[in-house]
Amino acid sequence: MNDSQPIETATTSIQMSSGAPDAKTRRYDRQLRLWAASGQAALESARILVIPATATTTSILKNLVLPGLGHFTLMDDKVVTGADAGNNFFLDGFKSIGKFRAQEVVNGLMEMNDGVEGVADVRNIREALEIDKGWLKTFDIVVAHNVDSVILDDLAALLWPDTHLVVVNSAGFLADFSIHYREHQVIESHVETSPSLRIDQAFPALLEYAMSLPLDTMDITDHAHIPYPVILVRALEEWRREREQVSGPSSGKGVPRTTAERKVFKERIRAMMRKFDEENFEEAEAQAFKCWTPTVIPSEVRELFNLHPSSASSSTTFSGLVSGLSQFSQNNPASPQYPSGLLPLTPSLPDMKSSTEEYVKLQKLFRAQSEKEKQVFKEYLSRAQVDVNDATIDQFLKNSHAIKVLKGREWKEINPGAKELLAGKLSTHTKEAATHLALAAIRKLRAKSVISSLEYVSSPNDTAMTDILDKDKLKDLLTAEAKSFLPPAVELPEAEWLVASGEVARAPSADLPTTAAFLGGLVAQEVIKMITKQYIPISAGNAASSTNDQLGICVVDLVETWTGIL
Amino acid sequence: MSTAVGRTKHAEAILGSELHTRLSFTKVLVVGAGGIGCELLKTLVLTGFTQITLLDLDTIDLSNLNRQFLFRTKDVKKPKSITAARAASSFNPNVKISPIFGNIKDEEYDIDWFKGFGVVLNALDNLDARRHVNRMCMAAEVPLVESGTAGYLGQVQPLVKDATECFDCIPKPTPKSFPVCTIRSTPSQPIHCIVWSKSYLMGQLFGRDEDAGETSELDEAENNGENVEEIANLRKEAQSFSRVRAAIRSYTPNSTSTADQDNDPAKLAFQKIFSSDIQNLLNMGDMWKHREPPVPLDYNQIISGTFILDRQGSNKAKEESNRVNGASSLNGTGNKKTAEKVVMKDQRKLTLKENLVLFNTSVQSLSMRLSTSQVQTIEFDKDDEDTLDFVTAASNLRSAAYGIEGKSKWEVKEMAGNIIPAIATTNAIIAGLIVLQALNLLRASPSTRPSSSEPVNATTAAPSSSSTVASPASADYSLLRNVHIQLKPSVPLSSVTCSSPNPNCGVCRDVYTLVRCDRTQTTLRDVVQGVLGWTSGQSQNREGAIENGQSQNGNRNENENGSNDDDDDGSERKEISVYEDKRILVDPDWDDNLDRTLDSLNVGRGKFISIVDEEGDWETVQVVIGELPASHPSTASPYILPSPLPKLVKRKKIKPLVPSVPSTPPPRLSLKRSLPTDADDGDVMIIDGHNGNGRTRDGDGEGQRALKKPRLGAYDNQRDAKTTTPTMDLTSPGKRKRLEEDGLVLMDGPGEVDEFEEDVIVIDDD
Repeated sequence: MNDSQPIETATTSIQMSSGAPDAKTRRYDRQLRLWAASGQAALESARILVIPATATTTSILKNLVLPGLGHFTLMDDKVVTGADAGNNFFLDGFKSIGKFRAQEVVNGLMEMNDGVEGVADVRNIREALEIDKGWLKTFDIVVAHNVDSVILDDLAALLWPDTHLVVVNSAGFLADFSIHYREHQVIESHVETSPSLRIDQAFPALLEYAMSLPLDTMDITDHAHIPYPVILVRALEEWRREREQVSGPSSGKGVPRTTAERKVFKERIRAMMRKFDEENFEEAEAQAFKCWTPTVIPSEVRELFNLHPSSASSSTTFSGLVSGLSQFSQNNPASPQYPSGLLPLTPSLPDMKSSTEEYVKLQKLFRAQSEKEKQVFKEYLSRAQVDVNDATIDQFLKNSHAIKVLKGREWKEINPGAKELLAGKLSTHTKEAATHLALAAIRKLRAKSVISSLEYVSSPNDTAMTDILDKDKLKDLLTAEAKSFLPPAVELPEAEWLVASGEVARAPSADLPTTAAFLGGLVAQEVIKMITKQYIPISAGNAASSTNDQLGICVVDLVETWTGIL
Repeated sequence: MSTAVGRTKHAEAILGSELHTRLSFTKVLVVGAGGIGCELLKTLVLTGFTQITLLDLDTIDLSNLNRQFLFRTKDVKKPKSITAARAASSFNPNVKISPIFGNIKDEEYDIDWFKGFGVVLNALDNLDARRHVNRMCMAAEVPLVESGTAGYLGQVQPLVKDATECFDCIPKPTPKSFPVCTIRSTPSQPIHCIVWSKSYLMGQLFGRDEDAGETSELDEAENNGENVEEIANLRKEAQSFSRVRAAIRSYTPNSTSTADQDNDPAKLAFQKIFSSDIQNLLNMGDMWKHREPPVPLDYNQIISGTFILDRQGSNKAKEESNRVNGASSLNGTGNKKTAEKVVMKDQRKLTLKENLVLFNTSVQSLSMRLSTSQVQTIEFDKDDEDTLDFVTAASNLRSAAYGIEGKSKWEVKEMAGNIIPAIATTNAIIAGLIVLQALNLLRASPSTRPSSSEPVNATTAAPSSSSTVASPASADYSLLRNVHIQLKPSVPLSSVTCSSPNPNCGVCRDVYTLVRCDRTQTTLRDVVQGVLGWTSGQSQNREGAIENGQSQNGNRNENENGSNDDDDDGSERKEISVYEDKRILVDPDWDDNLDRTLDSLNVGRGKFISIVDEEGDWETVQVVIGELPASHPSTASPYILPSPLPKLVKRKKIKPLVPSVPSTPPPRLSLKRSLPTDADDGDVMIIDGHNGNGRTRDGDGEGQRALKKPRLGAYDNQRDAKTTTPTMDLTSPGKRKRLEEDGLVLMDGPGEVDEFEEDVIVIDDD
């Protein structure tokens, strides 16, 4: 699958060959404007497995079925109870009671979008783990909600690393979730940082143009329309030449560094004005920091070069592109003065005060240079025999300053997490860590069958639940479990633990519709980010960086309404 | 109840039985049955709310189905409210959902109606309606949960009069605006041409007759110092639409005679707009001294494929014209019949000829609709293919004439229709958050039923509030949160405690009161002086007229701090102005309207009469005009004053007020719209949930920041939105309002045209 394509071709490609946009495009109009057809195509070819059919997983599925997920299988061996019927919108009310939960939910979900394939599987996940290992691995993503610890461990070990696992836990108003993948590449990260204009390392044509303008004699109207990058390049070059005369040729590439130097530099720009109100010069003064903000390769991108070194043969298109970029950053003949340390120039310019004419002139300079550098980049690709189409290259270069390669963690690393790490988290992220520990503890208890009697599935009356285990006793059990996750000397934070364990003990597995709705949105959103490879999902950090103690767990507290990343 | 055993077990276990029981006694109003509304309705029903009124004015469109999950393909074109109510009711027969297919701004949805609800939940997509509901809730003192989404971003904000700020406490970012002349004669960007087609040309050709010669906008531009000669020309241009309008309204298709072809509305319109009007503009030589002049388009040459845009001396223009004209040779092959059938692909940029053909077909279909049906006017609607085609074609033709890059229909739809990307996930999150905040509101507010002595169960999880029993005396709003969903992967949710009301807010700081009356019998004087306690002889139960401002009613002398500040004694007869919305009815030097009846002043049911203290000492009094109760004896006074009379509240002077200049902008409005200054910086920081580093900013920076994290409304999403001062001159409120609704505000002067700022929300960076 292509990582991406430009919106124009992308959005046309899924249309009928003629006439008004087809029903599908119209149906998905509002989301295509967010992730374009490339994202939509990825979504439509994705296959996911969801376990089991709770209110929360149903909400997650609802939000994937609506935008047009390809296929889902919902696995659950239980039958619908009255509590389910009142809690899950996609059951057919009382009529569903006594029937298989998975089948009833699938029926309800499928009504929303006939473009989606949905299958109910009424086996227990344990059974599938024993006899259907290969089949489980055919999914792109598996989502598990409030599944006990032992099953999760087995499932996670089986799926790692090819099928992504999403683990969701909730109790009352508290929840956490995590996504497990080894590495996730995002080209279209949709971040808001814009690529550098390279004011400090102007390309030859730009420098030449900036120096060629007869500033003192040109038409006054034209003078007021010189775009600010041109003004900055000119001012900086003049500043450099003056310095060179004073301090010798070696100083030719410097920039104003001290506060005093910068102040003088801004005054120099101001002095270039021929009328007091030339807004383009005012803008240049305001943007003067671009002169002394060095154009560098963002550290995250630099780190990627270690992950995909240019010498290594490239196994995938993505690593081929990254190693091409790495080579480019070492040698870019299209920029003879500054041959290394740059990413390919992007042709797009920000808005600026200028006339259309001047703006287009500048745009042409940037386009021409960016085209040259693209050729250099393509040359590196072809030498490494990376087979990739032009649209992908354009998309990659456009986003090269913001490409992300994320690191995930394996499930066993965070269930519940290394003792020392957790102890550290308890002091730095007390509330998040307490919530995580409480949810991990209940998962363990669930595996020990201590709380199975609390699940609202046993009988229609459920009178037994409070008798068997009262809240306080459950709290004590939770505390004991949580302590076993920590180094011996470490105490649980009293207030935060009271809150977290209290909430979990109060509602160990009650699925509140508001929490389910919230989680349904949040988790589905992250799943869509993973599938479309657009935007940045939660992660444990940058894949190339070794120093990171993030667990990559998103903690949700709807009592006080906050989320945090552990 | 016939509920199956265990049905509400989950919710009861978590909410506690006291709160859960209260849910079924709480009447909820949901305004909007769209993306958020569908999710909200589901979550409300599941949580245990059973009395829900659902209002929406819209019908279902195919593009709703990717997120509005209560609707199916078979429901397209049906009312959203009714369809959603039916779908959600089937879930639980014990729930009563009353759908209303109507506009929340209609007069029947008045203060009394709002007072009938325990909580109001906004699920709206446009700023205008959101502000309306906010005002009604502030007036009716009903708690409101506000919300909005745009793509992956969303926001939820609980609003309670006097306890938290209201929706209007923080001025909303003003939508992108352009000087009149930029739109009407010197466009330089595609958006200028799109705005021109949609907001100006659409109205001139297919709008109401009285708009055709409408000049107030131009008067205003002239007052603002825009080019006089240019405006005179525009005036002439606007008045000469009559022939085209007539042709449109008498259009008959299928006529083949040459006479009829001469009367082809499309061709007539084209000749006028793209040929003679542009020719006229070119005659104003001064204008084009420093600008690239436009090129008049030639209808026949474009059709025959021989038209060449000749723009000497400009590389850029040549490049552009090549692009626009580039494919015209492709069309040269087809005969006229097939050329009429342009194959539309939304995302492809059209050639000049294709645009012309699209212009023709769209003008013809729109003309058909006007000439053959009862429809009098057609307004732009992004989902109305004909109007979208028209705006696409007209703006691209204009762009071609001015050497501006063309836009595809897909792009025009987004730019003209203020389309906001929308997905199920964000709406689901927001709906969950809305209900959470509604639960927090219920927990905080006094119970309407005798409450048990047990603390509400769910709060036990929060140590800060676990001991707080919601008692009628002390409502505890500490759990309310103003929540944003953001794109930061590290902090998906930003949640901050709610701020106090902005002391300068022109909505929630006002004093609201209700006068029930027979509008044909009640004069403005009856209402104003009655409410203020300035009773004159003929009025009811006050003791005598108060000539020297000394009230005899103890209540009138109270002010909030109980201070002895004589100057600000609220009972004094102050110089006042009276407004109905933005319309001035009375000012200190002009009180002719006082003795006219409300009816004759066209002040209808549910309207607000604003009594503004010219000196700015009191908060404005908003008098809501209600209906007399059916039982009111016909012989009694034609109006019922509130009892007790509203307490005048001394305005807290936090910072200097905008000086009130007689006759120019109404003080009430200027107060409402005043931009927060540095003094308010802290407040704004909290609202935005940004890092509170409290940098000093000037007014402009403030607005810019507000734009960075805008309230999410229909037109907050303008791609190139930039800051303008929200203090508007409202000399032409009608026009202005209409344009505002279009997401456009005409600027006060030309000075701001060249300001560029960053996009508000990056939807995608194609």
